[in-house]
Amino acid sequence: MVEIDARGLACPAPLLLVKEMLEQHQPGEVLVWVDNEAARENVSRFLASRGFSATSEGEGRDIRIQAVKNGETVSPPSAPASARKIMVLIGSETIGAGDAELGGKLMVSFIKTLKEMGDDLWRLVFINSGVKLALAASPVLADLRAYEENGLTILACGTCLGHYGLTDQKQCGQTTNMLDIVTAMQLADKVINFG
Amino acid sequence: MLIAADNNDDAGVYRISPELALIQTVDFFTPVVDDPYDFGRIAAANALSDVYAMGGTPKMAMNIVAFPMAKLGASVLRAVLAGGAAKLREAGAVLLGGHSVEDDEIKFGMAVTGFVDPAKILANQGLKQGDRLVLTKPLGTGIISTALKAGLASPATVKTVTEQMAALNKTAAEILSTFPVSACTDVTGFGLLGHLCEMVAGTGRHVVVNSGAVPVMAEAKELAAIGLVPAGSHNNRKFRENMVMLPAGFDPVVRDILFDPQTSGGLLFGCGGKMAAELCRRLQDAAVLAADIGWVEDGPEGIVVR
Repeated sequence: MVEIDARGLACPAPLLLVKEMLEQHQPGEVLVWVDNEAARENVSRFLASRGFSATSEGEGRDIRIQAVKNGETVSPPSAPASARKIMVLIGSETIGAGDAELGGKLMVSFIKTLKEMGDDLWRLVFINSGVKLALAASPVLADLRAYEENGLTILACGTCLGHYGLTDQKQCGQTTNMLDIVTAMQLADKVINFG
Repeated sequence: MLIAADNNDDAGVYRISPELALIQTVDFFTPVVDDPYDFGRIAAANALSDVYAMGGTPKMAMNIVAFPMAKLGASVLRAVLAGGAAKLREAGAVLLGGHSVEDDEIKFGMAVTGFVDPAKILANQGLKQGDRLVLTKPLGTGIISTALKAGLASPATVKTVTEQMAALNKTAAEILSTFPVSACTDVTGFGLLGHLCEMVAGTGRHVVVNSGAVPVMAEAKELAAIGLVPAGSHNNRKFRENMVMLPAGFDPVVRDILFDPQTSGGLLFGCGGKMAAELCRRLQDAAVLAADIGWVEDGPEGIVVR
């Protein structure tokens, strides 16, 4: 196994380091550290083009790319530990059918408890009457703003706000449209439809 | 002032009289090719392009130079400036002067002033329902420049990409000015899809891009497939990922080409259906590439790639 630390280098430098190493040592197994997504994709792609099976794990400044020459057997790399992308789609201001007061309480509890998902929570999208949770009178406005400050992307359907005449009253989140919602569903690892 | 920085447009536009507006733009960068004369030509073509993208005619320019005189010597600088001057002559613009500073790394570009009839300004935004989208140069200069830096591009490819980047958008702009073009930009650092996002954002337009019809330079796909993709392509995609819908399982190599940052790229414009076909014929007759790469249709704001 040959290890290369290409952190701090801009593309195409990490790829060139790996290329030089492959030509010098002809290793069967390679470990490369990089610190950006472009280098992760480029190095992985380069290794694949040279007959390696590459897997990567990690985020941000410590990304680990492990590659094995096809046809050689080694211990399988550990499963990726990086955060998943979970999108939560909320289509109503209450949860479930039945008593509306109870439904409202359940929604408050749900929004407050969502923080337990940690970094896996990636997008929170409000559609139909769900957009009312993003208004000044919302019982969870403070929670939503705290999520936003922590980097969560909150989206509110522009068509829905317009339908209810609430376009000017949104207090958190960005206005979105259906193409944005559909691309988010496609990018997400998991979509939870609730409310 | 007709167009200012907050529009994300290609250049600023200031009206002097009802018939005349000034276009002002500036662009400079570090070398993308090894030959100094070619670098000068490319930097000038790239700076001039913003004037063409606004529907104008370049009239005058000032050089902007950062140069390590002790390391590279005056002959290299002369070659860079000669390359720039050659492109200004071709554009019919004059050099008024310039400014140079000593720097560790060479940088060259120009501030360019052009004229335009205020009624004929081509802004970024203005795409209409039923428009066809047309691109006038193939993609791939960012990928090939990355391969060039890595010493992995073939000499033939380097020659082709050099000539493409040095080619002015002059003929294309002249032909466009005689047609009802709804919106126009030049494809540069944000890549094709990044600049298309700028044309669409906030307009409510829904654009379909036919990825199979997008022209790509020879060897760019092969180079992207071995990982020679500039970080800019990745950043461009991340920046606009919520505005661009890619098909499930879309080839990441094609995706990276569609977001590849271009140096001195082609014009990208919209034009109504029947006129667009005629306009493409006129461009092709004048030996300008004209690829019909997509259209505007009814749907939510954003771009769908097929």
